Amino acid sequence: MHNTLTRVQNVFGFFTSVAFAAAAAIAISVLLSPQAPTASLELRSVQVVKGRPHYYSTKREEYAHIKFDLDADLTTLFNWNTKQIFLYITASYPSSDPSTIPPSEAVIWDAIIPSNYAPWHQNTYIHPTPKATTKVKKTAKKGKKEIGKAYPAGAQPGIIKLDGQKPKYQITDVSSKIADRSNATLTLHWNIQPWVGALVWTNTKTVGRWQGLQGGEAKFNFPPLKGTEVKKDELKTETGGERNRGSPA
Amino acid sequence: MDALLDEARTIWEGEIDFKGQRLVEFLTYTLLTISGLLAFLVGFSTQDIYRTLYIGLAGTALTFLICVPPWPFYNWNPLPWLPAKTMKGGGAQLQGISIEVDGRKIS
Repeated sequence: MHNTLTRVQNVFGFFTSVAFAAAAAIAISVLLSPQAPTASLELRSVQVVKGRPHYYSTKREEYAHIKFDLDADLTTLFNWNTKQIFLYITASYPSSDPSTIPPSEAVIWDAIIPSNYAPWHQNTYIHPTPKATTKVKKTAKKGKKEIGKAYPAGAQPGIIKLDGQKPKYQITDVSSKIADRSNATLTLHWNIQPWVGALVWTNTKTVGRWQGLQGGEAKFNFPPLKGTEVKKDELKTETGGERNRGSPA
Repeated sequence: MDALLDEARTIWEGEIDFKGQRLVEFLTYTLLTISGLLAFLVGFSTQDIYRTLYIGLAGTALTFLICVPPWPFYNWNPLPWLPAKTMKGGGAQLQGISIEVDGRKIS
């Protein structure tokens, strides 16, 4: 501590220790905030058709297009250390030989739900406005462009109300055959991304003050293959905010 | 020129006395610990992590400001050098001053 340089080094060195200790305390403090997530996930429709599911697909194969209803209250996942949550829905179905081959799992929809404190980012999710209120919105839209939020108007982060939501991704099987499979499950998952600390995935069991997720599952069967009677409009997918990434094509 | 360089080196090195060193060490640890604790407690009680960040950074900036420059109060107890032995009088000035090294009297 006898000259300026050593004082700078000592102060900065101890600052890093304090910063680490504070960060560790923050990371642990999230265990104190109670969580009670609930969700109701239901299948709206599922269709299996044959074609090229993506622009870059090299072969025609069977793919499934799954629509769903989701009504979730995940507000308790947002505590002071939550930056954003990554929310996703998977469809999983058992393999042909469940004793040796694990079930297949594929994501059909996902969204990044930022906390109110997170800085704006173009990739974050914009919650669709419920149909009843769209007419009122249109008159107000003339003034300035409203920035969409990741939750319905008047709610808070973690509230999701989706009615007949289109998937973001159609799903295919490695065997190119996905029709007529039974015992499939739609499941809601999340990943809490904190400002500092550990990533936390969906918990279905109660741990301490964190209650497990109530609901968020729906059983269904894949229907038989359909032909050209399915309209193209019926098979459209949702695009997320991430379509803006990179330079515009 | 040499005098100017000496002065520049003194400012750059910013040396402080022994009691000042003890004081600056105490201040560094106390101020940073308090600002860290305060940052966490305020942020936790208001559930706003930005407050933790800014209080922590402000406390650190304050600590740097207080502890790094050689403020005058770190130099209130300088230890005086002994007069040089080659001075006129053959070290007569050393009379009456006892110097001990490891318990042995040297002069």
